[in-house]
Amino acid sequence: MKEKFKSAEVWFKIVLLFVFSGFYVLAIPFPQDSRQFPQLLAAISLALTVIALGMDFLRAQAVAGEIGDVDDTELKVLDAGTRRARRKRFYQAWAILLVATVAGVLGGFLFSTVLLFAGFGFAFGRRENWVRNTIVAAAMTVLVYLVFGRIMAVPLFNGVLW
Amino acid sequence: MDALAQAIAFVLQWQNLAALAGGTVYGIIIGVLPGLGPSAGMALAIPLVMTWHPATALIFMGALYKCSNYGGSLTAILVNTPGDASNAATVLDGYPMCERGRGGVALGLSATSALVGGTIGMLCLIFAAPFLADFALEFGPAEYFLTAILALSLIAAVVQGATIKGLIAAGLGLLLSTVGFDVIAGHLRYTFGWAPIEDGIPLIQALVGLFAVTQALVLAESASSISRLAKLSGSFWEGVRTYFLHPVIVARAALIGLIVGVLPAVGQSSAGLLAWADAKRASRHPETFGQGAPEGVLASETATNACMPGDLVCTIALGVPGSVGAAVFLGVMIIFGIVPGPLVFVNNAEVIYSLFVALFLTSFLVFIVGMTVARRLAVVTLLPNNVIVPLILVVSLLGSFAIRNEMADVVISLAFGALGYVMLKRGFTPIPLLLGLVLGEMVETNYHRALLISGGSYSIFYSSVICKVLILLTVLSLVGPYLGPFWRTLTQGEK
Repeated sequence: MKEKFKSAEVWFKIVLLFVFSGFYVLAIPFPQDSRQFPQLLAAISLALTVIALGMDFLRAQAVAGEIGDVDDTELKVLDAGTRRARRKRFYQAWAILLVATVAGVLGGFLFSTVLLFAGFGFAFGRRENWVRNTIVAAAMTVLVYLVFGRIMAVPLFNGVLW
Repeated sequence: MDALAQAIAFVLQWQNLAALAGGTVYGIIIGVLPGLGPSAGMALAIPLVMTWHPATALIFMGALYKCSNYGGSLTAILVNTPGDASNAATVLDGYPMCERGRGGVALGLSATSALVGGTIGMLCLIFAAPFLADFALEFGPAEYFLTAILALSLIAAVVQGATIKGLIAAGLGLLLSTVGFDVIAGHLRYTFGWAPIEDGIPLIQALVGLFAVTQALVLAESASSISRLAKLSGSFWEGVRTYFLHPVIVARAALIGLIVGVLPAVGQSSAGLLAWADAKRASRHPETFGQGAPEGVLASETATNACMPGDLVCTIALGVPGSVGAAVFLGVMIIFGIVPGPLVFVNNAEVIYSLFVALFLTSFLVFIVGMTVARRLAVVTLLPNNVIVPLILVVSLLGSFAIRNEMADVVISLAFGALGYVMLKRGFTPIPLLLGLVLGEMVETNYHRALLISGGSYSIFYSSVICKVLILLTVLSLVGPYLGPFWRTLTQGEK
């Protein structure tokens, strides 16, 4: 598990190498004053990433997790089933989020919010409680609408279809 | 002293007391709602206070700003989502305490920190503000630049054992801050023709993404509620008692908060993280930090609350905000015709001292509100994830949208949410990235200004005494984590 985590971290640093290189190269056509600072930063960040990668490869032990990690569950030994379940929930969450965002762009706040609550309710709650999930989705949407739309007068997005 | 007496009399008028109470409650509500920090809260409240007397409006906004920090600590403890970057350190131990069912104690610690830290900070500030403003006048562009670099290196160093990774994240944040119009030449950079980022990557939207969306995604992976024990034990008063059992940590954290607060552009997030790291270093059981140590919560929260007044002084006396929230507060001051600068203590003494007195009183109000409703707020952690996750997403993305009424901002928040999630899972913390984004413009502006003044010579960055001290502190902060084990080995003879 630790070995896998380390390789994932190394891949992320390799991606960062490309990102920093991109910042450096894309700045070349900018005027002198505009490109100086981002190129300096990109060069320093590139150097640091190369050092970090070098340390990863030289280090015999796997890289330890950081203090700042909000969730260090990946560092714990999880069985394959739990990992699969977590990954599935993560993909489901993203799918619901993207569908709700597209619904928001097209249909506005109400569609988006109902879909989000209902989606999470059905995907992550108990399927047999579909009536309760529907009521919770409707109630939460109304609550958010009243608190934000009415009491706090926050502008709620309208869909492009209306 | 006359100005102070007049300010006290002014604040005690009923409309100002009402503004104070309103700002306190509104601030806590804004802070509690994940993703809606003080910046969004103040931005949303501007239309409400536009017709008020400037001093009354600033009292409302000041109370909102201060209390949203407390509200933000509640979300940091309860749902692992800091309302603002200033609560970042509270997450480290507050949330683990909550996971262990000691949410009530953590909330008691947080409220007492707001009372004690805020009171210490305000008392020092009321009497020292004019002197601090004079000292701050010594700072030129080179000093500002180095101060920001120090802040970034300190944050990177706090991620102990992974300073380089912290610096890489900070570098990414600084680079992302260069997106949009160049602050010096006005040239468009890295926008790829996308209009919503022409003025730069919006900070609040990025913050919402990095903390709220990322946290929602992490929560979505788990089937249970936030509190793994499904019950909350430990009372508010236990938290208050625990707080006063650690007077040394409180004193050190308050001192750190005061010092960091006075430094321009080094905001509350740095103060909280520094105090947390200091408490950990000084502790006999450093291994408990990050696992739900009460000392971690009280150190970070005391420093943050003691720092906030100093942070405001930099904003008021210099026009250099120490945080995103302070930046919005600066905008509010300008809207009401109060021009920041050392002369503000002469030209607008009544307004400024009224604000200070109001913030002093707010510390007590926060404690009372925390004492009465904090326990009830802890129930949030017992909500199932299939309710709390979409709630976090809806509220935070609504806040993101509401700032500019642009759907593109929701997309930006989602993109930063994905980035934050990937960073977390790959062993990087997004906090240095956020600080890089916040300080980026200031770093670049002062870098260019310093070089303009020196005619392109880099010697300006180490010519003054302040610069030398700042460079020394930066080097120490970067080397310190590696020196720690070295010194222990040297002094204790460990192999």
